[in-house]
Amino acid sequence: MIRIEGLTILFESFKIVNLNIQIEEGGFHFLLGPTGSGKTLILESIMGLRKPKTGRIWIGDKEVQGLPPERRGISYVPQDLALFPHLTVKENIIFGIRARDLDMKIYEEYVQALIEVMRVDHLLERFPSNLSGGEKKRVALLRALAPKPKLLLLDEPLSGLDPSIKVDIQRLLKNLHASFHPTTLCVTHDFEEAYFLAYGTTIFIDGKVEQVGKRDDVFLRPKSKKVAQFLGAKNLYGAKVLMNEESSQRWILGINGLQFSVPMSLYQDKMEVGKEVDLFIRPEEVMIIREGKPIKGSLKRNIFEGKILDISEKERDHLVYFQTTEGKIPFEISIPNYAFRNLDLSTGKMVRIALREESLWVMTESTSLICQSS
Amino acid sequence: MNFRYTMIGAAVCIFIFYLGLILSLFYFVSGKGFLEALTHPYTLFSIRLSLTAATIATFLAVLIGLPSAYALSRFEFFGKRILDTFLEIPMIISPIALGASFLVFFNTPLGELIQNKGFFFVFEVPGIILAQFATIAGLATRLMKASLDEISPRYEAVARSLGSSPWQAFYRVTLPLSFRGLLASIILSWAKAFGEFGATVTLAGAMPGKTETMPIAIFTALASANIDKAIVLILILLAFGLLTLYSVRLTGKRYKYD
Repeated sequence: MIRIEGLTILFESFKIVNLNIQIEEGGFHFLLGPTGSGKTLILESIMGLRKPKTGRIWIGDKEVQGLPPERRGISYVPQDLALFPHLTVKENIIFGIRARDLDMKIYEEYVQALIEVMRVDHLLERFPSNLSGGEKKRVALLRALAPKPKLLLLDEPLSGLDPSIKVDIQRLLKNLHASFHPTTLCVTHDFEEAYFLAYGTTIFIDGKVEQVGKRDDVFLRPKSKKVAQFLGAKNLYGAKVLMNEESSQRWILGINGLQFSVPMSLYQDKMEVGKEVDLFIRPEEVMIIREGKPIKGSLKRNIFEGKILDISEKERDHLVYFQTTEGKIPFEISIPNYAFRNLDLSTGKMVRIALREESLWVMTESTSLICQSS
Repeated sequence: MNFRYTMIGAAVCIFIFYLGLILSLFYFVSGKGFLEALTHPYTLFSIRLSLTAATIATFLAVLIGLPSAYALSRFEFFGKRILDTFLEIPMIISPIALGASFLVFFNTPLGELIQNKGFFFVFEVPGIILAQFATIAGLATRLMKASLDEISPRYEAVARSLGSSPWQAFYRVTLPLSFRGLLASIILSWAKAFGEFGATVTLAGAMPGKTETMPIAIFTALASANIDKAIVLILILLAFGLLTLYSVRLTGKRYKYD
């Protein structure tokens, strides 16, 4: 277990106040924040390169706050990788084992396994200047993992890569974590990257933690409009709580004259009639109903008719821009390409959409969520 | 006029200017006098003295300059800007003023105390080393700082995270990466010390066979109208200077940094 408690960093224009992160042993935690929010400063403070104003860091039962970087057992992969250009790939990889005076024989098998998973065995005698961007990333990750750190810190690990290589490294990182279980803290501004890799996520905006939780808690149920907007929320609407439907245990919300139904069980006691709230649904959670097909129970309560305004094709999915007939509420709908081909959709076509109740998320300033980090 | 040729033409003009100056020296060279001047014991002494003094002064300048350059390159501390400004003192005051300052210093109680303890500098060989050290220490520090600035501190950060102490990170990572630049800085500083005249002659004097370095020997040879000796010494000075400066351009392997 890694615990970071009350980390406060004041540096030039950066002010990071009372940051708390907990990562279970073997967890992959993302610290997600906008570019220039001081994420690298946080990593440098955890690593011991920068002295925070306050804060305590535990690795297991050992408090490491007073220790120099070389005695913390934390490996670091910076954004620019910083592969040592005067050393070969092999020398880079074993740098940490040598620096820590560890017995190479004990690590040999483990390092060989890492080399195989990272597919760098053919690169061992090369110098970093002769590697491609993806190869450099793989070597940098391997170098960091070779001395078996207690915590691996990654700073924007997928930045600056071509899209195809990015996907490759993303998968590799996932495999690597599944195979070797290094406890990892990764900082990034790329929420897609975090969505693909994270178990736990901390959303960090303007020097403050906005939300902590498991990946789906954060991405599907953002705590505030600020978090939802940072996560690129598309279908985000201001709504008003119209009534409390006791018989069905549902809240009824109104937007531009349309009524939306959400289960009471998700919101504990923080909603009340008349309250202004924000309603959010991810584009991939909006379904276009195929006429003649039966509709599941959880979809029946939120069905709206409207017109397709536009369709744009992307690499893996189609984006359908829809507007309800009543209330003129726009929706962005993401449909995987294979499903789109079966739907026979075109611009101007009248269709019905269904919103699964559990996928609708209501945000109030005081929405009470049960969030856990992993 | 063609842009490219205009620019290259300007560079060639500078080359011709200096080459002409050097070639003009040979106009006064007579075979016999030249050989005599070259093999004269005082000439050989001044060559040896210059080489030795410049090497020791450079060694001392690197000894203090390298850690100073590292501190200025990597750390923020109180008075850093003032310290940085002071490095340029030898560049803004004339070498004679620098030498004169030493003469004044060794007449203060502290200076006298040092001399009374048996450390003699005025009109002595250590005075040459001190004058050359004073001239190049700031320059060496500034040049080495520029070399260290080129190396991202991120390399050291990673080395530290992988288990290296600050010293280990310095000699395993920063030093090899900046080696080429540091070597060039050392060579340039040595060349500057080798050719130093003003501060040296003011502090150590111009005693043949004792404190007469090559630049001083050139001055005294000219003053006594010994043109052959002056030219021999100028040519040797030039040969050493050009050789060291050219070697700067051949130093080490340049790494491609990420």
